[in-house]
Amino acid sequence: MTSFGADNNQRNGRQARHAAPAPAGAIDAVDMELLHSLEELQVVDDPDLIVELIDLYLLDAAQRVTQIREASIATDWVLLKRATHNLKGSSGNLGVRRVAELCEKLERMDSRDSPQTVADLLQLLEYETTMASAALAAVRQRRLG
Amino acid sequence: MRVLIAEDDPVSRRILETLLCSWNYKVTTTVDGKAAWTALQGPDAPSLAILDIMMPGIDGLEICRRLREPPVSTSPYIILLTANRGVREIVKGIEAGADDYLTKPYDREELRVRVQVGARIIELQTKLAERVQQLEVAMDHVKQLQGILPICSYCKKIRTDLNSWEHVESYVADHSQAEFSHGICPSCYETTVRPQLESLEIARTLEGPGK
Repeated sequence: MTSFGADNNQRNGRQARHAAPAPAGAIDAVDMELLHSLEELQVVDDPDLIVELIDLYLLDAAQRVTQIREASIATDWVLLKRATHNLKGSSGNLGVRRVAELCEKLERMDSRDSPQTVADLLQLLEYETTMASAALAAVRQRRLG
Repeated sequence: MRVLIAEDDPVSRRILETLLCSWNYKVTTTVDGKAAWTALQGPDAPSLAILDIMMPGIDGLEICRRLREPPVSTSPYIILLTANRGVREIVKGIEAGADDYLTKPYDREELRVRVQVGARIIELQTKLAERVQQLEVAMDHVKQLQGILPICSYCKKIRTDLNSWEHVESYVADHSQAEFSHGICPSCYETTVRPQLESLEIARTLEGPGK
């Protein structure tokens, strides 16, 4: 049985085997074991499912981060919660752990939190999303090889 | 069996679709609550729905509430999916009308067996509904005698619902599946039939042979 959110200390070794060259910060950005466990769902003769999921994620994550940024500027907590919740879900599915964790923190933010805290978290989220996207793009490139 | 997936996150939606197709379900996907609600209102609506709670348009909880509003005729089996793990969220979901609940990240095998449970319950409900319909049709053909029947103390006719009086024989025949075969009971034979036969014999004797 494979949990989408399963944690495993042995993943780094497998990650090194699967990942194509990516920025240094991208090494730990994605749980490669979890990502590659999705291969179990691959239907023979269908297009590569992992590539398809990565494409969906890259497009969606960019839109969500923009939404989160706009929501934080407008202090629209409903939109912020919705966008972070969504990004948390898709990140968790593909093993993008740190983005998912940051989304969880941002999801809990509201008007009682200082704007600086939100801004700091958002900055971190943008950085981690960039790193994860680079790592996923490298996997994508390698699979299409 | 047809399954509806209502999930606005494209990655989660694609994974769910792939999983369910691999388990041989026919899948319909929707990207928000409004589309899900529309799909569940159609004449050929899916009998099982996997709904994300947090969706644009109408959220998963609201869809549950609307589906369970009376009069409920046929309503799908609902599994709610959410990233919130709190007990209060689960209680809210079940109270809104969900049949089951899974938190993200979910285990694929757990999802498979929970969907299987849903499919089994739907199958049982369908069989039960068919049986009830068969029984209702059968009941329409069964005539019953019940309640207090007003009967005349002298002639033994029965007063009908239309306030007319009918012979017991025809009343019972009209209100039951009974059919009558005619005979004479020993008591009636002694008190009624035998005296009539004897009087006939006496008459013949008095008339004499050859007349």
